[in-house]
Amino acid sequence: MQLKQSLIIAVTIGFLSVTAWELYWRSQGHHPNIDDNKNLWANQRAKLENSQENTVAIIGSSRILYDLQLDIWKTETNTDPVMLATQGASPIPVFKDIVDNTDFSGTLLVGVTPPLLFATTYPEAEFMKRSQTLVDYYYNRTYAQRINHKLSVPLQKSLAFIRDGDENWDSDVDLKTLLKNLNPDERGGPIYPPFNNFEDITLERHMKMTKRMENDTAYANTVKKVWTAILSGDHPPPDKDGTIAAFSELAKKFKARGGNLILIRCPSSGLFQMVESKGFPREAFWNVLVEQSGAKAYNYLDYPQFQNLFLPEWSHLALKDAQFFTRELIKIMKSDGALTNYNTN
Amino acid sequence: MLFNSLSFVVFLVIVLALYYLKLFSWTGKKRMLLLASYVFYGLWNPPLVILLWISTVVDWTAGKKLAVEENQKKRKMWLMLSMFVNLGFLAFFKYGDFILENFVALMNAFGVDFQARPMDIILPMGISFYTFQTMSYTIDMYKRKIEPARTFLDFALYVTFFPQLVAGPIVRAKELISQFYEEKKATTNQFIWGLFLLTIGLFQKVVMADTLLADTSDTVFGAGKILNGVDAWIGTIAFSGQIFFDFAGYSTCAIGIALMLGIILPDNFRYPYASLGFSDLWKRWHISLSSWLKDYLYIPLGGNRHGITRMYVALMLTMFLGGLWHGAAWTFIVWGGLHGTYLILERLQQQYLPFKITKWNGIFLAFITFSCVNITWVFFRAREFETAWNMIKSMFYLNQDGAKILQSFDIMKVSIVISLLFLCHWIMRNTSMKEVSLKTPTWVLGVVWAIMFFLIVIAQGSGEQFIYFQF
Repeated sequence: MQLKQSLIIAVTIGFLSVTAWELYWRSQGHHPNIDDNKNLWANQRAKLENSQENTVAIIGSSRILYDLQLDIWKTETNTDPVMLATQGASPIPVFKDIVDNTDFSGTLLVGVTPPLLFATTYPEAEFMKRSQTLVDYYYNRTYAQRINHKLSVPLQKSLAFIRDGDENWDSDVDLKTLLKNLNPDERGGPIYPPFNNFEDITLERHMKMTKRMENDTAYANTVKKVWTAILSGDHPPPDKDGTIAAFSELAKKFKARGGNLILIRCPSSGLFQMVESKGFPREAFWNVLVEQSGAKAYNYLDYPQFQNLFLPEWSHLALKDAQFFTRELIKIMKSDGALTNYNTN
Repeated sequence: MLFNSLSFVVFLVIVLALYYLKLFSWTGKKRMLLLASYVFYGLWNPPLVILLWISTVVDWTAGKKLAVEENQKKRKMWLMLSMFVNLGFLAFFKYGDFILENFVALMNAFGVDFQARPMDIILPMGISFYTFQTMSYTIDMYKRKIEPARTFLDFALYVTFFPQLVAGPIVRAKELISQFYEEKKATTNQFIWGLFLLTIGLFQKVVMADTLLADTSDTVFGAGKILNGVDAWIGTIAFSGQIFFDFAGYSTCAIGIALMLGIILPDNFRYPYASLGFSDLWKRWHISLSSWLKDYLYIPLGGNRHGITRMYVALMLTMFLGGLWHGAAWTFIVWGGLHGTYLILERLQQQYLPFKITKWNGIFLAFITFSCVNITWVFFRAREFETAWNMIKSMFYLNQDGAKILQSFDIMKVSIVISLLFLCHWIMRNTSMKEVSLKTPTWVLGVVWAIMFFLIVIAQGSGEQFIYFQF
């Protein structure tokens, strides 16, 4: 046995195979990108430990993550946004962490996505657990995990096939996902269509929708199919009283120490808007939340300029409209005096 | 730090560079390895390195005293000190909550209304491995079976050597410490073979365990409902494969990494799923633990020296404690108990119904053994008895209307992987990877190596922890 020759063969074929794999995925329209994962979130969360006077924290779910453009926020307000919104999750666990474990008393923007925020306060429920997992990871992450993240960033930025997401929807080119999508059948229950990726995020968690989602209707339709499958499934009734009470209690504590709390209802369209308006009527949910929490509140339905924005898959704004939404929202909040700590310099 | 992580790749490259560059003397290299081992462990939770230090200092001191002390009473006292500290760590960190829970349950059973809050103690990674390793040193010193380590550095490196620190193999002092006395350097072939073993170990962990089997096993055992027989069996054999690939993968990585440094670690697995009976299984599965339990528990309990009944009692006790070693839960004790029962039944069969194993009935016997082992894995994997019992009932088709939760593709995938695993173990049971590789053409080995590397890269993995780290 000539081990040296075997090694040379292995290195050569291995290198060529990986190169071919990378080229294949690039030819399929995939590009290197950073994945939104628990490490990005934890790095942002760490900023709240030494928050400045002009720090603005943002919590909520994916809508506010996509719809508030952090670069515009920064230039328009001269404040430093810390993006802690969590995709597919309730903001309550993160709000509780901020209230209980930090002395942050700046401006806190809360994105309200009714099916997520009003769903439940049960800690084991998926929407709650997803946020709580991030909070727990922030406190428990090891030094090895921090180093792994730092080392994975250059790889994510350079190679299209590298994925480092935590959720099923993050990984669409790893071996496990490819096998899963190979030959699905309904033996084990209904099959959801594949959730194609449409995120483009920076290390500071500045999220933009990808151009493909904006320009390729067929691609956008694949995500609409996922939403349709999710929204037409069986869901327990929302726990309106429980969620509003839990949120309002945290709001009271936060405001009592001088925090500036602002609720934002970001746009939705199509099936999402229909389900939300019927299942979570504004008067019964949003209005009660605003009243009981005593927070300043902005609902896109109240502003004519937010009525015809482009949401390619019904739930998140296309980049250009997200930039418009951010600019307009800041204008409105400034004119209301809602942004107490923004810097005019 | 995990072998299947980017930080470990960087760590290993730095360690190998420092080891092979002519910067240090042999003592300097050993110091560097020791420091690297503390960094390897400390990057997970730095304060818990203190436990390693305490264990090292106590056993070094006890060993030194045992080497010169003649007074039997004092010798026993030094041994007891070592046992007290090491088993005390285990009792507090690993079994604290379990002991408390059972104490509360016992009180309540006697009508005493007593409640206690769980202590929520962090479990130091690999504590069961390094405490058993250091204890073996003191016990062997007590029995005058080995010479004391020449220097504190050699001993500390024996306790902490990073390739096998957190999940074994549990190496005896005589196998490892003496290797540190002379300068070690891997030959080119040893180095490349070590790299090959590291690739195989990572392939087993990242591709076979995490990518192909873990999800099916997690789905079945986390279903929370009564399952169809097919789903229960597939989930169980998926776990059977997962735990083998996960643990054998770790051991293979550890052996490969040590070999790249010129250090030889013993085998920990020898194709266990082709075992012919249960005595054979325990000579092939987690060999370093089973031989530890045999030498330091089963034989001191009397072994087979005091008649059949005492032997069965010793066997059952050893297997119960072996089960408890894996985790602080009754399900692990039942797992150990089942294996103890199998071993006793096997001895009764050999006594009253002996038969000759031929090449014709061998594979059938191996399959029966494998199937029985799979049943025990249900108790090992299930978090509660209710889950385990429901799984067993489903596996014996007693739950006619059980839910179907797996897709046909998952069933096919797991069936193929586990059938190949079984056949591969059967073919390999009387040989070794090294022997097979010697007969394999160079280019075939290179292509197989490249395929494994490619699959590891495209599987990517999510840095899943090795299952045995929690033990």
